[in-house]
Amino acid sequence: MSFVTIEQAGYGVPRGGTILDRIDWSIGEGEFHALVGRSGCGKTTLLKLVAGLLPPATGIVRIQGEPVRGPGAQVGFVFQAPTLLEWRTVLDNLLLPVSLKRRPQPADRRKAEELLDLVGLSGLAGRYPGELSGGQQSRVALARALVTEPPLLLLDEPFAALDAITREELQDDLLRLCARHRTTVLFVTHDIAEAVYLADRVAVMEGGRLSHALPVPLARPRGRDVRYSPRFNALCLELRRAMDGKAESVALERAS
Amino acid sequence: MIIRLASALLFVLLLAGWEVYCRAAGVSALVVPLPSAVLRTLWDGLAGGYLLPHLWVTTVEMAMGLAAGCTVGFLAGVLLAEVPVLRRLFYPYIVASQVVPKLALGPLFIVWFGFGMTSTVVITALICFFPLLENTMTGLQQVDPNKRELFRMLRATRLQTLLRLKIPSGLPVILAGLRVAVVLALVGAVVGEFIGGRQGLGASIIAAQGMMDSTMMFALFIVITLLGMIVYQAAAGLERWLLRRPWKG
Repeated sequence: MSFVTIEQAGYGVPRGGTILDRIDWSIGEGEFHALVGRSGCGKTTLLKLVAGLLPPATGIVRIQGEPVRGPGAQVGFVFQAPTLLEWRTVLDNLLLPVSLKRRPQPADRRKAEELLDLVGLSGLAGRYPGELSGGQQSRVALARALVTEPPLLLLDEPFAALDAITREELQDDLLRLCARHRTTVLFVTHDIAEAVYLADRVAVMEGGRLSHALPVPLARPRGRDVRYSPRFNALCLELRRAMDGKAESVALERAS
Repeated sequence: MIIRLASALLFVLLLAGWEVYCRAAGVSALVVPLPSAVLRTLWDGLAGGYLLPHLWVTTVEMAMGLAAGCTVGFLAGVLLAEVPVLRRLFYPYIVASQVVPKLALGPLFIVWFGFGMTSTVVITALICFFPLLENTMTGLQQVDPNKRELFRMLRATRLQTLLRLKIPSGLPVILAGLRVAVVLALVGAVVGEFIGGRQGLGASIIAAQGMMDSTMMFALFIVITLLGMIVYQAAAGLERWLLRRPWKG
C-alpha cells in the first residue's frame, strides 16, 4: 500500500486561476520522490497540500489511508529558508517540535545531540543561529524536522540557497538520515541533478499538472562517483528532455 | 576618545564663556544666572536636602506612570494584534487619540483626580501607553511568515505561538517603544507637575518661577536632565541585556 496518495487534488485562488489541476500521485512507504519544475509551476503548493498547510479545493490527499485535514504529527517539513528562531540556541531550536508538546526529557536531548552529530554539528549545540553559516543553519533545520522521527518528510527546495559543495554534502546527509528510519520523502526542487541524485522516482510538474514521471534506477547508497557516471548524466538528460516536453516514453497518461 | 575629550572641553569652554560674558556685561541674574551660581544652588539644594524630596516624588511618579502605561499598552497591543476584529474596531480611535495632545488633558485629570501625585501618574501613564501599544502591535504582526508556517506545521497552540514566536521576535520593536516611553514619561511627570503638582521637580520650577528665582530654575533643569539621562541609559541597558546575543545574527 502506498504511504501517500494524492487523488485528483486541485487548488486555485480567486482571480489567480488554477494553481494545481487534478494531480494524481502516490508514494510508497520508504520511497524517496522528487518533484521538479520551473518556478511558479505549483510544486510548493502541492507540497503544502500534502503537509496539510493548505486544504485542497478538489480531490483528497491521504497519508497512510487517512485523509489529511491539517498539519499532522507524522509529517516533518523543511522550508526553503532554515527558519530558525534566532533567540534560541541550536539545541533549543532542534527540540522545538518536542518542547511545543511537552517538556523535553534527557532522552530527547540525547537524541537531538545524536542528530547534531550525524549532521556534523556536534559541539555547536549551545550556539545561536546567527553564529552559524548558511549550510550549518540548513543542517539544523533538517535535523529539527527529523527530531520527532516522522515517517514522512517533506522538503521545499531546502538547499537552493547553498553553494554547490555544501549542497552536495547536505544531500548526502539527507540520504543518510532518511535511510536510518526508512523515512518516506517528497522533495521539491528545481535542480535536475539534485532530483536524480536523491530520488527513486521523479515527477515533473508543469503549469499545475504532473506531466512526466521518471524512475531513477541507480543503486543505493549513492556516493560521489555516481554524480559523475555516464548513467547519471543520461538520466539527467532524460529528465531535462521531459521538462522540455520532449520525452514521450515517460509521459503520464491523462484521463481527461 | 579624543572626540570625547574635545566634546567635554567644548562644554567647559561654553560654561566659561557664559560666566565671563555675564560678569563683564553685568547681565541680571534674573534673566541669565551665572553658571557658578547655578552650580552652588544645585549643590546647596542637594546637600541641604531641599531638592531630594522633589526628586524622589518625580522619580516615583515617573516610575509608576511608566509601569502602568507600559503594562497596559503592552497588553492592549497584544490583544489588538491577536484579535483582528478588535483591531479594525479600535484602530480609528487609536489613531485619533494619538494626535490628541495628552498634556492638554491635564486640567481635566485634576478635576477627576485632584491635585497631587495621582493626576500626574495618570498623565504619565497615558503618555507611555501609546508608544508601547503601537510598537507591540507592529512587532507582533511583523513575524516572518515562514516562522508562522513552521509553528502551524508543528501544531503550536495560539498561546504558544504568541509566547514563543511573536513576542520574542517582536521584542526589538517593543523595546524601541519602551525607550521612547521612558523619555516621554519624564516629560509627562514634569509637565504634569506644572499643572497639578504640589511636590516634585516640575512643581519646584513653578515655585521658583513664582519667586523669580532663575538660578533655581536652571539648577532644576540640570537635575531633570540628569534624571532623564539616567533612566534613558537604564532603558537602553535593559534593551542591550535582553537582546544581548541572539538577535544580532
